[in-house]
Amino acid sequence: MPTLTTLYFDQLEYSDDAAFQFAAGIPGFEEHTAFLFIQQPHTNPLVFMQSLQDPAVCFIGLPAKVVDSDYHLELSPEEAIALGMPAGETSRIEANLLSLVLLTFAENTEPVANLMSPIVLNLQTHRGIQAIQLGSSYSLRHPLVLEQAAACS
Amino acid sequence: MLVMRRRAGESLLLGNEIEIEILEVGPTRVKLGIVAPPHLAIVRKEVLLTRAENLTASQNQDPRVIAWLSRKLAPRHTGTVNSLTPLTNPPKNFLDSF
Repeated sequence: MPTLTTLYFDQLEYSDDAAFQFAAGIPGFEEHTAFLFIQQPHTNPLVFMQSLQDPAVCFIGLPAKVVDSDYHLELSPEEAIALGMPAGETSRIEANLLSLVLLTFAENTEPVANLMSPIVLNLQTHRGIQAIQLGSSYSLRHPLVLEQAAACS
Repeated sequence: MLVMRRRAGESLLLGNEIEIEILEVGPTRVKLGIVAPPHLAIVRKEVLLTRAENLTASQNQDPRVIAWLSRKLAPRHTGTVNSLTPLTNPPKNFLDSF
């Protein structure tokens, strides 16, 4: 079983079929064509998107539904093909897809989530893309609301 | 900013080598045809913005910030996503000290 040095988790053993293939990388990281998506109990619901090409490249993301429970993903036919989805079935296969939004941290402000450019994983084919939501109103820097509302009694 | 009105079928030139034709005008979108030399990269602006945001997002984070965020988010925890990488060996937990 291959071992990877990761940015946040030291050495990590993984099985080859756990990796997700990004044929075109993502903007700015075109040469990074395979990532592991790591979750662990202490950091749930965070998901760590660790590059297999470079241990120093690890994004931190959240399932889009955690940030916006109504999050709606649109995919172009080209994106559906890149994810290995059968043609013409884009509406029915959402069950196999997971959208993650990447987080950006800045000093003294709450983290922001990139809802405009979700990482979309096909859990069946283990292919992934960054699917920029053209023409949507989703923000590139959506502030995370971290304070929980008090429970109504 | 230069502003110009064009109809479908009309075009404009940027310098001598770049031609942008308005192919179709819809209620909310226009379809453009672009003729340009192959060495010129043409991307939607959203791709450039995403690239910049990705570069920022890839910066190494302080484990304390991650631990703080995990605690804040824990109430929304909706279960692990089964198909993501299972940790076959428990990693040295960098959060243990917090």
